[in-house]
Amino acid sequence: MNRRKFLTILGRAGVGSALGSSKGAEASPACFPYYPDSWGVLHDTTRCIGCRRCEAACQKVNNLPEPKVPFTDLSVTEKKRHTTAYEWTVVNKYEVNGKPYFRKLQCFHCNDPACASACFARCFSKLPNGAVVYDGSQCVGCRYCMVACPFYVPGFQYDLAWDPLVQKCTFCEPRLKEGKLPGCVEACPVDAITFGRRSDLIKIARARMAENPGRYVDYLYGEYDAGGTAWMVLAPAAGGAPVPVDDPQGAGTEFKQLGLDTHLGSQPMGQLTYGALGAVPMIVAFWPVLFGGAWAMTKRREAMAKLEQEKIIKDAKDDLAAAVDAAVRKIGETEGEGAAERARQAMTEALKAREAQNSGDGHGEEK
Amino acid sequence: MRNGTTLFLLAVTLLAFAACPPAPGAAPAALEPTDSGAPSAIVIFPVGAKANPKAAAMQPVTFNHVVHEKWMERTGKDCIVCHHTGDAVACTTCHTQEGKLEGAHITLYDAMHATKIAPRTDTKPASCVSCHSQQITQRDCAGCHTTLVRNARNEAWCTVCHTVTRSMTAEDMQQGIAGTLPERRNEQLATETELSRKMVTYWKATKAPQKVVIDSLAGKYEPCVFNHKSHVLSLMGRITENKLASAFHTEPATLCVTCHHNSPASATPPKCASCHSPTIDPATPQRPALMAAFHLQCMSCHKDMKVARPRNTDCTTCHKLRAPERAANQAN
Repeated sequence: MNRRKFLTILGRAGVGSALGSSKGAEASPACFPYYPDSWGVLHDTTRCIGCRRCEAACQKVNNLPEPKVPFTDLSVTEKKRHTTAYEWTVVNKYEVNGKPYFRKLQCFHCNDPACASACFARCFSKLPNGAVVYDGSQCVGCRYCMVACPFYVPGFQYDLAWDPLVQKCTFCEPRLKEGKLPGCVEACPVDAITFGRRSDLIKIARARMAENPGRYVDYLYGEYDAGGTAWMVLAPAAGGAPVPVDDPQGAGTEFKQLGLDTHLGSQPMGQLTYGALGAVPMIVAFWPVLFGGAWAMTKRREAMAKLEQEKIIKDAKDDLAAAVDAAVRKIGETEGEGAAERARQAMTEALKAREAQNSGDGHGEEK
Repeated sequence: MRNGTTLFLLAVTLLAFAACPPAPGAAPAALEPTDSGAPSAIVIFPVGAKANPKAAAMQPVTFNHVVHEKWMERTGKDCIVCHHTGDAVACTTCHTQEGKLEGAHITLYDAMHATKIAPRTDTKPASCVSCHSQQITQRDCAGCHTTLVRNARNEAWCTVCHTVTRSMTAEDMQQGIAGTLPERRNEQLATETELSRKMVTYWKATKAPQKVVIDSLAGKYEPCVFNHKSHVLSLMGRITENKLASAFHTEPATLCVTCHHNSPASATPPKCASCHSPTIDPATPQRPALMAAFHLQCMSCHKDMKVARPRNTDCTTCHKLRAPERAANQAN
């Protein structure tokens, strides 16, 4: 096995393990559609009256702290508020084609959540009932989930010095388990948020579009956006204005006016990073081996080169000694022992002097 | 009707008719004459070029010219809205069942029913349906027709216009389709039809309860006392004089079924809670829960009829806060 082959296998193993850990493994390697019986909520912005009852109910059922501004003060809907660690849902007012409309913000409970894909501590999980839930026991507070979320939903307990956690809408998962509706849904006085099976809600949304021509934009936000979400949004139509052709999502500007991003694409956010992030555990495990091996190989090559060099030097030295011996023997035969001894001495000194000069100059040994 | 020639011809025709003594026994009471001198009502036959020996076709339409002319006058509109070429000729001159070159091959059906009419350089014509469906957007009609009531395109809807007196013979029909029915006979048939039209008489508000106490959900708020009578009277008062509404509201209970929907029209309709459960039923998630059903009905009608008060978020106008909460509120 050479180095290239090794890296290829490592890469494949990384992608494979990432897919194995995502929920898409059983469905398809490209995109996870959604759990067939999962719950969802359809938010009809043409119905919402901005009464903030959902916010009050959320605070009550989740035992969140009392807000600074009471829920009866509706002026706060004018601001473009975001969800925070202590306000898991907020209702904002938006101008759509010149008319005021309200939209409720909360976790969209993606089919294939970006927050879960970004969390290396595996705090987030998508449950088969549709909820994206967070377990903070392993949370390190890196807030990668907040960066990854395309809807800017998770909030962080910045006020806590010790063990701050990420907080967001839980889809009232504990209540769902008890067979109760989410707090906000139960509190809505106009059914602007309709709870049901996600598959039913898609049909209901389509039926509303068909039965009320001109009332809704012919696009269900969240059916495919960001790989599909459990919470979906219907937007009020401009009243016959044509849909711009350069909009890849086919929606007009109504969703943008409602503060929704129509350019998230239909692939889960995680698809962009599963390959790379899936390789992280593999890298953690194999990098010591990989670089340790590379280091050992380099060391060994250096040692081998040194040995070879030393051998060449030894050979050269031996050759020189032999030549000196031969020359001394010849002098001894022709001119007697005394001359031979002097010649040997002279040659040895000359060689020593040259060696000393060479090493002093810093040049390599030269024979 | 600004064309001198047409006016002259019409005048001559009228004079000719005036000179002739009316046929004995076949003269019903006449309709009010039109200002333009055109017939007060006409029957629009499905004129076609193809041979149609059995006269198999849709029932012709009886068109009341006077009523439409008066509406034009009232709303400051011109004859050109319908007579879009500027010539006061019959629609079937250019628009036949098969379509003709003169009518840009637009068939009679499309000319009368099209709702999406392409813009053009000269006058944009209106079809019967396009103009009538515009009428329901006016404030008096919008309460029911914007959100709550969707116009059914059924048999009853067609026969409001497609109706003609029973005294029309098969021969009349054949001639009408061929375009050879004498004008006088046409007018006679139309007049007879129009005079026999009976406008609907709505049920009187007095038949219904004056006040309805909605208390099935009362909890945080006191029960809502809904003034049923004043709502019915207000809605009825707006449309009793409206001939278009009267023509299409074919049942005495038509007004009632806007709110008392999805059940047969009756003087004793079922309660809202019969179908709308207090919490959403997982089997029918498309059906609003009871509280939402009330709010959606009331709010959408108030919004569409531009009733400024109460605001959607002003809860206590319709149902007062219960005493303990009221006390707690005052303490705050």
